[in-house]
Amino acid sequence: MDEWLNKKDLEFREWMLDERRRLGIDRAVKAYVSAKETALQKMPELEEMRKEVRLIKEESIRKMPELAKAAMDAIIDLKGMAYLAKDAESAQEIFKEVVGRGKLVVKSKSLTSEEICLNEALEEAGNTVYETDLGEFIIQLRKEKPSHIINPSVHVPREEVAKTFSQLLKREVRPDINGLVSVAREFLREKFCTADVGITGANVVAAKTGTIFIIENEGNARFVSNAPPIHIAITGMEKVVPTLSDAFKVVQVLPPYATGVLMAAYVSLITGPSKTADIEKTIVYGAHGPKELHLVLLDNGRTEMAKSPDFREALYCLRCGGCMYECPVYRILGGSFGNNYFGGIGIIWSYFTRGPEGVAAAINACTKCRRCKAVCPLEIDVPKMVETLKSRLVRDGYSHPRHREIMESIAKNKNPFGLER
Amino acid sequence: MADRLLYWKGCMSRLKVKGIADSTMELLDLMGIRYDTLGGDEGCCGSILLRTGYPEEAKKLVRLNISQIGDAGYTKMVTSCPGCYRTFASEYPKMIAADLPFNVQHISQLLSENLGALRNKLKPLKMDVVYHDPCHLGRHMGIYEEPRRLIKAIPGIRLAEFRQNRSLALCCGSGGGVRSALPDVSTAVAKSIIDGPLGPLGVRAIITACPFCYYNFNTAGGVEVIDLPQLLLRSCKGERSNG
Ligand code: SF4
Repeated sequence: MDEWLNKKDLEFREWMLDERRRLGIDRAVKAYVSAKETALQKMPELEEMRKEVRLIKEESIRKMPELAKAAMDAIIDLKGMAYLAKDAESAQEIFKEVVGRGKLVVKSKSLTSEEICLNEALEEAGNTVYETDLGEFIIQLRKEKPSHIINPSVHVPREEVAKTFSQLLKREVRPDINGLVSVAREFLREKFCTADVGITGANVVAAKTGTIFIIENEGNARFVSNAPPIHIAITGMEKVVPTLSDAFKVVQVLPPYATGVLMAAYVSLITGPSKTADIEKTIVYGAHGPKELHLVLLDNGRTEMAKSPDFREALYCLRCGGCMYECPVYRILGGSFGNNYFGGIGIIWSYFTRGPEGVAAAINACTKCRRCKAVCPLEIDVPKMVETLKSRLVRDGYSHPRHREIMESIAKNKNPFGLER
Repeated sequence: MADRLLYWKGCMSRLKVKGIADSTMELLDLMGIRYDTLGGDEGCCGSILLRTGYPEEAKKLVRLNISQIGDAGYTKMVTSCPGCYRTFASEYPKMIAADLPFNVQHISQLLSENLGALRNKLKPLKMDVVYHDPCHLGRHMGIYEEPRRLIKAIPGIRLAEFRQNRSLALCCGSGGGVRSALPDVSTAVAKSIIDGPLGPLGVRAIITACPFCYYNFNTAGGVEVIDLPQLLLRSCKGERSNG
């Protein structure tokens, strides 16, 4: 069997047989589904708003290059720095340049940074990197890969977290969820204050004002974006919308669909670096917040997606992660159903941002059941894109041997089962 | 001119789960609905080719099937398989950029339309069941109520609902070519429904209206699975449910 298929098959098998991971995902799915149900009931106005957001995203993707430029210009006007990185490698270079060597870096969750393998790159350059989102922190310590875009440690049940923390602190930590959270809080607090650089993602960026929005529940992104003297935000260029009011609509739709809350605990709006003019009206940068603000907008295949009528819709995705929890196959295959990005939509992103190898086998696990479309706040037609991508992959030589047999059997016998006519 | 009806069995009911086709034909006979089949000349609708990355190969079948059915003078066609139904009814017209020369229905629609002729034949069946919405029939084609209407027409039956049903129904796991490429994944998905949301409902059987769902739930095991026409036939015959 081809290598790319073999590898994924093993990964699938490993996930299917791992009872602990299944337990973690089962618990998370149950909690998510009922929380979201309640949130949506309490907020009937979301029905209208999500439609507005769909229109905002359609317009934003139509104008993606202009909006990216406008956002960058606005940030530069504010004495921040802004970059458009055409691929993962050039994004890494920008980070290495700004961060330097031997630095202490704290990060809040950013899948876009995973997309460009940022941690590996920074560590290679001699820096120490701490993930501070609890879920990311757990899997960083466990040297695993995220398995969900919002809840990256969804597959790790509390008993396993306790083991990991016990190893970290070299003392017994009990599998009590409250206690586990305190452990992380104490351990990371000191890192926030001593870090040289803070790296965050951005959920949405308002082009006109150059405002970066970071939505979170833990409060770690506030520390990361505020305590260290340098803040670098990285996000896909598809995240830029025209105005602040557009961005606020996204901010209202995202939390209920992402975690089943009416509103996220914290939304940080950052418009330029920290400054003061309190002494003789002379502007000084870096008052209480970071002296330097950098925004890295990542292309890495997005321009190509925007140009393609078949796949443009994938760029509307807000990355709420709802469709992953709701996917019947993700519930079985978890983090192996995709490559950095998960589920049906994840297969599309992975293909464009990381190439065909990583998704050519995973795509065969999608039943095209359309449940993702039914639950998506933007009603993104993921199954249609998956089907189109599948035919592109087959054309490029990534067909599954069983599917090939079926195709040949139909041509020869008029049935898919290889039965003689 | 009177309508001429073709019963398109589809590959699964024709070759793998023949019980579905047999029951369907018996039920149609019982109801006095006249139909033909294409017998050994029935081909493939192309659904599986579209799902697994062979749209060009599928296109070749489209013209073939349309002319075979149209030329034989059929004005109506009914399918057992929601996949065939969706492919013929919704995808063929897009692929040929024209309407089909015949009307396509899923068996649940045809039966529901003829519920009048069926109702007085239905004998009590004391059974607690749940209906599983097949993806191709439900989310893809918007057919949610016809199968339920038919099940509820059976005297004595109690129809439960999954907590998540209709447009939010869980996929059984067999669609899109997954069953052929990754059979273990398909089975695991079906099993997760049987071991998960099915349990609290306390029903004896899952009713499906799709041979793929039927096959997949049966493979996963642990629950009785009945295809919709099979259930209706059972009621017509006054068969006591086993167990
Ligand atoms: S495709 Fe829709 S549901 Fe899935 S992550 Fe994106 S916005 Fe959320």
